[in-house]
Amino acid sequence: MISIQHLNKRFGTVQAVNDLSLEIPAGELFCFLGPNGAGKTTTIKMMTGLLRPDSGTIRIGGFDVQKQPVEAKRIMGYIPDMPFLYEKLTPVEFLKFVAGLYNVAPPDLSGHIESSLRQFGLQEARNALIGELSHGMRQRLLYIATFIHTPKVIFIDEPLIGLDPHSIRMIKNLLRAKVRDGMTILLTTHILALAEDIADRIGIISDGRLIALGKLGDLRTQSGDKGSLEDIFLNLTASPEPLNPSTPMAFEALAK
Amino acid sequence: MHPLTAIWIKNWNTLCNLRRILQRESIFKTVFILLFAAGMVGGFFMMFLNGFQFLANLGGGGFMITRRLFSLFFLGLGAMLVMSNIITSYSTLFRSRETLFLLTAPLDTRTFVTYKFIESTLLSSWAFFFLMIPFTAAYAWHEKLGLIFALWTVVFSLPFVFLSGALGSLISLAAVRWFPRSRLVWGAAAVILLIFAIRAILQIRPVIQEEATFILNRFLPGLQLATHPLMPNNWTAEGIMALTNGQWLRGGMLWLVLVTNTALLFLLIQEFGRRIFYTAYQQVTGSPKIRRRRDELLGWLDRLLAFLPHDIRGMIMKDIRSFLRDPLQWSQALIFFGLLGLYFSSFRSFHYNEMPPIWRNLVVFLNIFSVSSVICSLAARFVFPQLSLEGHSFWILGLAPTGMRRILLTKFFLAALAMVTISAGLMGLATWMLQAGSALSLISIGLAVAISLSVSALSTGLGALFIDLKQPNPAAIISGFGGTLNLVLSLGMMLGSILPFGLIWHWRVSEGLADSLFIKANLIVGLWVILLSALMVSLPLWLGIRSLKNREY
Ligand SMILES: Nc1ncnc2c1ncn2[C@@H]1O[C@H](COP(=O)(O)OP(=O)(O)O)[C@@H](O)[C@H]1O
Ligand SMILES: [Mg+2]
Repeated sequence: MISIQHLNKRFGTVQAVNDLSLEIPAGELFCFLGPNGAGKTTTIKMMTGLLRPDSGTIRIGGFDVQKQPVEAKRIMGYIPDMPFLYEKLTPVEFLKFVAGLYNVAPPDLSGHIESSLRQFGLQEARNALIGELSHGMRQRLLYIATFIHTPKVIFIDEPLIGLDPHSIRMIKNLLRAKVRDGMTILLTTHILALAEDIADRIGIISDGRLIALGKLGDLRTQSGDKGSLEDIFLNLTASPEPLNPSTPMAFEALAK
Repeated sequence: MHPLTAIWIKNWNTLCNLRRILQRESIFKTVFILLFAAGMVGGFFMMFLNGFQFLANLGGGGFMITRRLFSLFFLGLGAMLVMSNIITSYSTLFRSRETLFLLTAPLDTRTFVTYKFIESTLLSSWAFFFLMIPFTAAYAWHEKLGLIFALWTVVFSLPFVFLSGALGSLISLAAVRWFPRSRLVWGAAAVILLIFAIRAILQIRPVIQEEATFILNRFLPGLQLATHPLMPNNWTAEGIMALTNGQWLRGGMLWLVLVTNTALLFLLIQEFGRRIFYTAYQQVTGSPKIRRRRDELLGWLDRLLAFLPHDIRGMIMKDIRSFLRDPLQWSQALIFFGLLGLYFSSFRSFHYNEMPPIWRNLVVFLNIFSVSSVICSLAARFVFPQLSLEGHSFWILGLAPTGMRRILLTKFFLAALAMVTISAGLMGLATWMLQAGSALSLISIGLAVAISLSVSALSTGLGALFIDLKQPNPAAIISGFGGTLNLVLSLGMMLGSILPFGLIWHWRVSEGLADSLFIKANLIVGLWVILLSALMVSLPLWLGIRSLKNREY
């Protein structure tokens, strides 16, 4: 579903993303794990077409993001870490706007919006302006908006920032449910517990390189570390010498 | 649904909600704003009407100016629209956070750029209508033109607004695409050079001018440009007049010329936008330049200011560094000075000594007006928004053990220092080029200093009163209510201090005011200006400090 080949991006003297290749099949919840400044946001922005890669290709559902941007964007959703929403719209107006933008008209749009708002606990806020909502409420609204056009792939950058335990539980359940329905999800986080909890596969990125890739169990066996993901993570990202980029799939290969 | 339809519905909703927000505000404030706007339109109307009457009273030359003022006015408005659209397009196309959102939606770039172009043109056109309505009304009143004049004005204004807006957007797109940020200095220099070049080309026009026109063009350098047959403002002005006078063919042709050119520019924007927007956007989001930044900019200045209390020194350095690192800010400052250079370069052709004394006097005071208006707009543009631009980091200042009083006064002194230096320098240069006498030079420079101080305090104080920490876009901060009020009060202060001097000196040359009376009058007016500036400095600062202290963060 997502196919990335030899992706590079440089900002001035910083190599933010360094020869990154990755295949994510449909229906997988993939978790990008990495310390701050590892290049997670940059990678996600390139996947959504917001940034142009210096080199390399990205295909989403078969569409090249650079060459067929409109087609690719039609089937994807993006939830940035600092969600921007139209401050002067009400949630309902905003959701209808998004539906129009993606040209989706489910037979009962208003009903769908109503039930989503209820499901996400936003029915009280339906008439407020978005500018008056709290951060967590905006985040939830953004999830509704993203699912409105039933994307095949969604990208979520740091999904849990600023959320309360209820919202966190709700979003975790939601993402799992969506994946069960066949959606592909790529999320980035530096919160290990989240990755441990819900990811099908985990990729660890450090200094723009993919330094480990596989299921949690694989990572554990392969790093020879019997401890938690935290130990593995600290172990890997602290090592001054990242794995040779030509063998980023080492763990997967060994697991077979 | 076409995505554009969805966007327009969204904008319509936003507009409706504005009403809701207004309802929540106090009625008093809304009414006050409305009255204020009406008062401003009325004030402009009276001012323009007086201007027309003054010109009519001047006789021959004045009559010739009146006839061409319409073109000149549209030239001014057009230039204003182009300038403001360069800035507005930049922020709506590249800087606005909506861009990030819409770029991940399945919109093609062409649609996106089209929408953003229309949005920014509409955003920057309100000032156009705000000025145009009273001007055309005053013109119609003075020339006793019928109501049909209003209709033709609207019919021509709309394409004119879009044409000017399109020019601005094109310049903005091209500038971002081909002048990467690291080379913005060169970009600004190139723009200024281009303006000079266009001016030079237009001046080569080998026309035989009647003597009066020739002198007139000397006097008002813009006039020649304004009445050039290739200028869209001339099509607009001429077209409106032609249709009003019943010259259907000529008017219709001019309208078609205007509309076809607008349509062409519209197509250019779409095509251009489709081809280069994405690349330009990449240039704004990432900086591919390979350059190491020093970890401390202007360290020497920091050490030089060591005698200042450390909190004040910290704030000053922060402001200077942020300003220098924000291309949006200083590139505009550069363009400001470029235009000033243009203004001064037109002095060369003056044969000041050959002019009759009344005109000489008029020119000196017109110059005081021009330089002072530049000071007012500099303050409105750069001083007023500086507190709001602290934005989300304002709490840092709020928490600091420095106190709002000190913060505000520091901002004021820094602004005042810059403004006084610039204005006194400019005024000195101008009076020297105009060969004004020493008394008049002294008065000019004194006025410049008084106005700079007042306007700095006014902009700082009102900037604190109308602080808007949620707005990251300086253009929006300035065009809000507080910004407009600030500009109007600044201009009021400027008129209030220049006009009395202007009148005395006019009487002196026209009616031969007696020496003793003349000196006394000058002293009284000087005292008045000092009192006025003292008030304008202390009151806004006091109000601003009080409001900042009572704020919650
Ligand atoms: N617009 C930009 N200009 C310059 N450097 C950037 C820019 N965006 C990101 N970087 C740099 O790229 C690297 C990766 O950043 P990012 O992808 O945001 O990391 P994270 O993994 O925390 O999301 C960092 O070193 C950051 O400083
Ligand atoms: Mg990030």
